[in-house]
Parts: sequence; C-alpha cells; structure tokens
Amino acid sequence: MVVPAMLAMRDIRKSFAGVPANDGISFDVGEGEIHALLGENGAGKTTLMNILYGIYAADSGSIVWRGEVLGGHGPKEAIAQGIGMVHQHFMLVPTLSVSENITLGLKSRGHPFPDRRRLDTDILELSARYGLDVDPAAKVASLSVGERQRVEIMKLLYRDARLLILDEPTAVLTPGETDGLFRVLATCKGQGHSVILITHRISEVLAFADRITVLRDGARVATLEAAGATAAGLSTLMIGRELKSPARRTAPAASLPRSAAGDRAGLEARAISLRPVAGKGLQSVSFSVAPGEIFGIAGVDGNGQKELAECLLGLRIPDSGKLLFGGLPVEGLGPRQRKRRGLAYVSDDRHHDGLVLGFDLAENYLLGKLDDPRFVRFGLVDRKACLRGAGGAIADYHVKTRGPTEEVRLLSGGNQQKLILARELSSGPAIIVAFQPARGLDIGATEFVHERLLERRAAGSSVLLISSDMDELLGLADRLAVLHRGRLSPAYDNDGSLDMMRIGLLMGGQGMAEEACAS
Amino acid sequence: MRFLRTLGFAALVLLLVLAVAAALVIAVRADPGKAASGFLRGAFGSFYSISEVLVRATPLILAGLGVSIGFRTGFFNIGAEGQIYLGATAATAVGLLFPGLPALVLLPLALLCGFAGGGLWSAVPGFLKSRFGLSEVITTIMFNYIAINVVGILVRSVMKDPSYPLPMSPDLPEAMHLPVILEPTRLHLGLVIALVAALAVWFLMSRTAAGFRMRAVGLNPRGSLVAGISVPANLLLASALSGGLAGLAGASEITGIHHRLLEGISPGFGYVAIIAALLGRNHPGGIVIASLGIAALQVGSSSMQRASGVPSSISWIIMGVLVLLILARRPDRDRVAR
Repeated sequence: MVVPAMLAMRDIRKSFAGVPANDGISFDVGEGEIHALLGENGAGKTTLMNILYGIYAADSGSIVWRGEVLGGHGPKEAIAQGIGMVHQHFMLVPTLSVSENITLGLKSRGHPFPDRRRLDTDILELSARYGLDVDPAAKVASLSVGERQRVEIMKLLYRDARLLILDEPTAVLTPGETDGLFRVLATCKGQGHSVILITHRISEVLAFADRITVLRDGARVATLEAAGATAAGLSTLMIGRELKSPARRTAPAASLPRSAAGDRAGLEARAISLRPVAGKGLQSVSFSVAPGEIFGIAGVDGNGQKELAECLLGLRIPDSGKLLFGGLPVEGLGPRQRKRRGLAYVSDDRHHDGLVLGFDLAENYLLGKLDDPRFVRFGLVDRKACLRGAGGAIADYHVKTRGPTEEVRLLSGGNQQKLILARELSSGPAIIVAFQPARGLDIGATEFVHERLLERRAAGSSVLLISSDMDELLGLADRLAVLHRGRLSPAYDNDGSLDMMRIGLLMGGQGMAEEACAS
Repeated sequence: MRFLRTLGFAALVLLLVLAVAAALVIAVRADPGKAASGFLRGAFGSFYSISEVLVRATPLILAGLGVSIGFRTGFFNIGAEGQIYLGATAATAVGLLFPGLPALVLLPLALLCGFAGGGLWSAVPGFLKSRFGLSEVITTIMFNYIAINVVGILVRSVMKDPSYPLPMSPDLPEAMHLPVILEPTRLHLGLVIALVAALAVWFLMSRTAAGFRMRAVGLNPRGSLVAGISVPANLLLASALSGGLAGLAGASEITGIHHRLLEGISPGFGYVAIIAALLGRNHPGGIVIASLGIAALQVGSSSMQRASGVPSSISWIIMGVLVLLILARRPDRDRVAR
C-alpha cells in the first residue's frame, strides 16, 4: 500500500562538537500510525525528535510535513503546525490547576481574563473524547505521575496536535498506568492522530506500535512492520549483537549458604520511619539482606526509595527504627563513617550524587578514597597514586576515556557509571546500596553493571537493589519486596512461585494494607 | 583552534576597552595623546611608578586570594571589604595594647591577629550559611556596612588619637612597621607576604586533601555529601580562610602604609579583589597577574588625571566593561550538548 506520508524526514545530519548524533537518518510517519523509534541511549532518537520539534536545527537534510517543507522553525511553530512533544521530564507548573496548565501561554477568549468555567468544560469534553480521565480543577501538585502525563498529552490535543511525540513515556509508569497510556494512544490513533514513540523497551514496541524504526549509533538500521518483528530480532538490531542470557541464573551461587548467615545479616533495617515531607516518608520499613544476597526493592519512583537510600547512607536521620551493618548499630554515624564500615553507594544520579563533573577521572576516583592512606598521607594528596589508581580502574572496568586526566563530564553515562562502580566496589565493600544503578544506560553498560553486582554477591556482599525496572529486579534479586507510599510489603522469593500479578497490584498500592497486616 | 579563539577574544576585548577609553577621553575634551602618555608614564614610566603599582597590587592579591578560596568552595564572599577593615582594626588593636613588644614578636602577632579578625568576621556569614542556609551574598554585603561603620565609631571613640582633631588612631609603634624593601619607595614587605600567600593558597587548593574537599564542595555539594565530605564544615573553613586573607590585606595596609587606623584605609580593595579573582579565574597565579594589571590601571589613570584632566574614575568604568565582557563569555557556555 502506498500512503502519502504525513511526515518525511530525509537524510538528517546533526553533530555535536564534531561527534555525529544523527548521521543521515531518513524517517517517515503515516496518517494514523503509531511509529516507534527504538534504540539505546545515545543512538540519536531524542536528537532526531528535537530537530523535528525545532529545538535543534539540523546540519543538513530536509523535513516535509503534510506536503510543506519545514525548516528554521522553533517549538512554537512546530506546535502551530500540529506537532507536539511530551518530554521525558514533564513541563508543568505544579502550583497551577490542570486547566490552567493546559491553557498556559494560549490567548483564550477573554484573555487576560478568560472564562475558566468554559475552558474547564471544553477540557472535560476533550478528555472524554480521548478517554483521558483528569479533573480540570485539580492542582497539578496533587496528581500522580501517570495523571501528569495525561495532562501533558491533553496540552497537545488541546492545541490540536496531529502528531504526538512521546519521549520514553513509560519510564515513570506502573504496569497498570502503562496499559492506560497505550489505550489513550490507541484512541488518538483512531481519531486520526499519529504518534511517535521514543523508547528502548522492546516489549512495548511489539505490543503497541504499527511500524518500528531502529536507530544505532546515530544511523537508521532498519524500519519494519511490528507485525513481523520478534524481540530477539529487534534487540540484535538495536545493539548489533545478541543479548546474553539472564545473568543471575548462570552466576555461581552465593558463597555463603543463607542459613549460616541468617543470624548475622549484612544489612538490616528494623522499623525505620521517617516523617513525610512533601508526602514522601517511610512507615516502619524493615528488611534484612544476608551476605551473598541481592535484595530487591521494587516500586514506582517517588514512593520513598530515595528517602530510604538516604537513611541507609546517613544523609537523613530516621525518626525511629534501627539500622545495623553486620549486626552493629550505625545510628549517629555520618556517610564517611558508614563508608568506613564497608558501605558502598551506587546512585542513578551520577551527575549529582556520584561524580564531581568539573573534576577529572583521577580526582573523581580520589573522591571515594579520601580515607585511604595509599592516596592521602599527612593531609597531602598523592597525585601519582591517584593517577595510577584511576588508571587501574579504567583498565579493570573498561572505561572508555582518553585517560585519567580527562574531565568526567566528557564521558558517556555508561562510562561514568563504570568509573563509579570501580571506585565503590574496588575496596570490597560488605554492603552495597544500588539505587537504579542502570538507569539511563545502554544495554551493554547495563549488562556490565549487573555483572559487577552479581560478582559482589558471589564475593559475599549484601546488596540492596532499589529499582523501578521489574526486569532488572527479576533478573538479579534473590528476594524482593515492594515499596509504596513509604510502606514496604513482605519479601517474596524471586523464583518460579513469584506472582507477578500480585507485585503489579502492590506497586499500585492495592493490597498493601492487608499484606502489611498479615505480616 | 581553541587557543586561537581565546586569543581572538582577548584581542577583541582589548580593542573594545581601548575604544571605550578613547571615547571617554574624547568626551571630556582632553587630548588623547597627552592622556595616553600620562597613563603610561604613571603606570610604567619610572622606578617609582612601578613601585606604586606593586604597592597598590599587594592588598588586591591578598584579598583576591581570599575571595578565590570562597568562590571555589561555593562561598560567594562579597564581604572582603569589611574583612579588610576588621583585619586592620585587629592589627591596630595589637599595636595599641602591646606597644612595648619587640618587632619580631609584635609584627607577626599583628599580622596574625589581622588574619584572625578578618577570618572570624567572615566565619559568621559562613556559619549562617552552613547552619541556616542564609545567602552569604546578602550577609557579607551587610557585614561590610557594619564593619566599615564600626571602624568609623572606633576611630572617633576608644581608638581615637586624643592629640589630634581628625578621626584616626594614634601612630603605631615603629616596631610594628613592615620594613620597606625598596628605598626610597613605599614598597614594603607586604608584597612578599602576598606572593608567599599565593604560593600557599596554590599548594593548599591543589595539593592537599583539605583543598580537594573544598573544591569538591564548591563544584558539587550534594556529591560531596554523598562521598562523606562535610559541606557545612568545609564552608565554614573556606569562609574563615577567605576572610582571613582579606583581614591580612587590611593588616598589611596598616603595618606597611598607614601605620595607624583611619576611615577609608581601603578605597574599595575588597570589591576590586572580586574582579581580580574573576579575571584571574580563581587561580593564584592568575590573581597575581590580574591584581598587577588592575593596580597599573588605577595608578596609571590617576597619573592621567594629573597630566590631562581626564577623571581617574575612568579606571572603574574600564573595569566594569572588562567584567561584563568576560562574563559574556563564560567557559561553561561551550559545554558539549547531547
């Protein structure tokens, strides 16, 4: 069938500082089509869409939108032309209501004093038509992440967007919310809208897209019909090789039998409570992680995970409860003393938590070794030792860099995370708190991070893995529990008996109270 | 490529500054040739004029070093001016309290107390920031007013010279004068102290663990916290060192030049020091060079005023233009976008 394309991008090129991010990509979208743009981080998906949306100007190439050439445009013109984008980080004003957010920047009738009630009616009508359930009068601050996303989509539909671009829309959603999102997108499609879905999740693409374009290293690898595609085929296209089999099953069993270590847990939390600030607190969270065990904490972001990690690290002081490292209480100890007790921390937020971007690799390596006499003696930094240490880390952890004196800001996310792992894990920590350690990394780097964590498990570390990625938890954790609104469900063994339905419900908060009572 | 661009930018700045200067000279209907020769003679024309530039640069280097430690740790110390006054007051107090001590004891003690006075004065905003999150930009500016006016009160009351009608302290004992290192000019040992301080600050910031911690806190407080580096403690330390060096600048002015406390001992050294730190990119070597350049600009322009009648305030206008131009091209603008 030959349908005249709604959008045709031809031979788009764009480079940053000499590095090509888009290397002659051609791409088209038909009327009423859901087209997935699949690729690893750094493959050039977001750059391509930012060019379409007018945030970047392409170095060369052409864009034809509904028969007209588009160029030199900004987001404002793109929206006026019917192209709308939902960014990964939402652009909403939390103190304003839903309808105020939707009409923000528009000169509605009666501007600057529009008839809010009429606008609310319009918005309700629109939301009914697309099956988007939002209360126009609600303040955005009171909405869940899924609801906020719906507001973002409403914003585009209200502006009459014909093409919706969604950048990693499911990264922040529960499984239930994800299904809801795709129902909405299907309705949009039914009404003649087209959707571009930027993602790296193959399962979603197979389930919901009409066509798939795979990008790798800034170039288009293939465009295919979703109907004929397979997960294995897509992942091979995406990373250029086949994925290894699930790691935990092939890893050696924990060196310490769990029963022997049971009474001397590596990391134990007893009824940790934290008074909620801005709705985020902890309610009597208890768990223990044995040496040689990976304990997973599942849940949607923003349910107290960061707060829990910060309590463990010593950045926050719980209002009540007990924390034990290797059986010894650590109350009153700051991060520095806890690190000396064998704690290592790997965060998702490399730029804020893990690294000092203005420092070079050697200095960032030193950041975790300030108490190590090999690197600091009599208050003086042994720069040569730092360079050697960082050099060793670069070699052992395959960090791609020009050398230990390169600024870390110039490294890719995956290489930055490898450096952090090298620094945190090289001292053989007894306890590892890993907070979304693979977030934002490509498949290769993710695999690497997981392998290192499994290595530490085999070496007898107690690993706490906090993640919102169920695949990651299922692949790595020995046991897992769900955190929802600051409460932790009982722990489940991660084996064949795990009821995924139950976990999904717990992540949405259903059955949480009964579970907590029963335990 | 990058080097060429920097060079081109420097040439552009120079051109713009010269154009502004020429425009100002013409605007006041002065003879540009006379003005230029007056400027150059005043700044570099003689042995004496060069020594005056060095005298002028001394407090700028010391206070600029102080400001740079604060900046690198994330403590934006706008209060060097007040810290200079406090350091000067502390040094004067030592001389008035212990006039009988030998020079070898009195002079180091006075300088040390100057350092301590400025340091403690600056540690208060440092504490307020690290404990309560109060913006040091506001508090240090307010502290300037307090310090300057406290000195005004002191030289009219407890520290006033009773034998003299003007508001100033009595002359300090001879034993407390910093030796002149180049007779018959005013150039005193303070310059050597400033250069040693520059070396010490370089060593502290780039070779020691304490300096590493302070830099880490300045670049990424959150990351420092996670790495087990205390942000409050390092802010406090940096604020104290920062104010201490400014206080030392005040003590050096008292013991090297004025030999008594009076109002107006600092014609804005504390503010110009911020410019020196900015132009010197917070690097000790850069600060020494920037301070020398600013001092030459100021000394030269007062000579230009005498020679051709162009107001010496032109130097402030030029500095303002310079800072604007430098800020317009911050290096972090070139960051790689992905």
